[in-house]
Amino acid sequence: MPNAMPVLIGLVIAYGLIRRVPLYDAFVRGAKQGLGVAVDVLPFLVAMLPVIALMEASGAMAFLVRFLGPVLTALGIPAETLPLMLLRPLSGSASLAMLERTLTLVGPDSYAGRVASTLMGSSETIFYTAALYLGAAGVRRSRHAIPAAILAWLAGSIAAGWVCRIF
Amino acid sequence: MMSFAWATLALTGVAFAMAGGLGGEVPGTMLRAAMDAVSLAIRLAGGFAFWSGLMAIVEDSGLARSLARLLAKPLSRLFPGVPMAGEAGQAITMNLTANILGLGNAATPMGLKAMRLLGGEARDAVATDAMCLFLVLNASSVQLLPTSVIALRAASGSAEPASILLPTLIATTISTVVGVAACILLTRRGRHA
Repeated sequence: MPNAMPVLIGLVIAYGLIRRVPLYDAFVRGAKQGLGVAVDVLPFLVAMLPVIALMEASGAMAFLVRFLGPVLTALGIPAETLPLMLLRPLSGSASLAMLERTLTLVGPDSYAGRVASTLMGSSETIFYTAALYLGAAGVRRSRHAIPAAILAWLAGSIAAGWVCRIF
Repeated sequence: MMSFAWATLALTGVAFAMAGGLGGEVPGTMLRAAMDAVSLAIRLAGGFAFWSGLMAIVEDSGLARSLARLLAKPLSRLFPGVPMAGEAGQAITMNLTANILGLGNAATPMGLKAMRLLGGEARDAVATDAMCLFLVLNASSVQLLPTSVIALRAASGSAEPASILLPTLIATTISTVVGVAACILLTRRGRHA
């Protein structure tokens, strides 16, 4: 697996060369957009990281993990990822801030750190997406859409706990 | 909803800090975290820019169009009532293609358009089967490359930031399959009831 990323990057560049894409210009244009994303995310990080730090320093986070953690552990998901799991369906930038704290606490290459990363990458902001999409279509009764999305998220989370044990 | 979550976190933290006699540390803790947020954003900016640059090459090389062609057949199975060549079908295909490639900026406007077009046939503001399934596909991640997670892992000093690629792909596939299956099963149950 360590070669997956370099191969992918090589393929993207080689394919771009074959299709005669002005590679350098395209890359620079995209990079500029990416910088914009970092700027867009910054206010959310400034909003979330202090309240997360407060939850940690005050002992509230440890309290939460002690009481709700066993539920996750029973499902095969490390208890340290609980705060991330709670924030993930609500907001992408808030959970990015939470993932940063989790990785700093448990280490990015530890089992819990890899599960947290997998959780983050394999799920979406369910409630935000639902609110946005249903609002746009003027839908008030979403029927089974939300339960199905939550089931998908749970299945992905449990899978993350198991898959990280294998790989 | 986010206001409520944010306020809950802040108030719980303040209450716990005061109960534990740590009230004096609250301002320092919060301000240090705010400063950390800025340095984190700066470290993340490099990774975001790099991936976004590569994705721009993917976009320009027409990979998105090839992927959209590839998706047309399975999608027409999932959305039996929606002709994939029609306007709504096109919007669905383009939204999912952008999501798979992680082009969030392109995905959302297309998704909203698809939802509005699908909504044209909805009665009394009730979501149709197609709308539910489309929402579930968008709410369960289908992104192939978790670029922002890889950038964040690199910023956190991971020795192998991309090592979560395969686990993420597997977890995301399981999640999407379960979501689609749940959607189809719940649709059937709704019809028989």
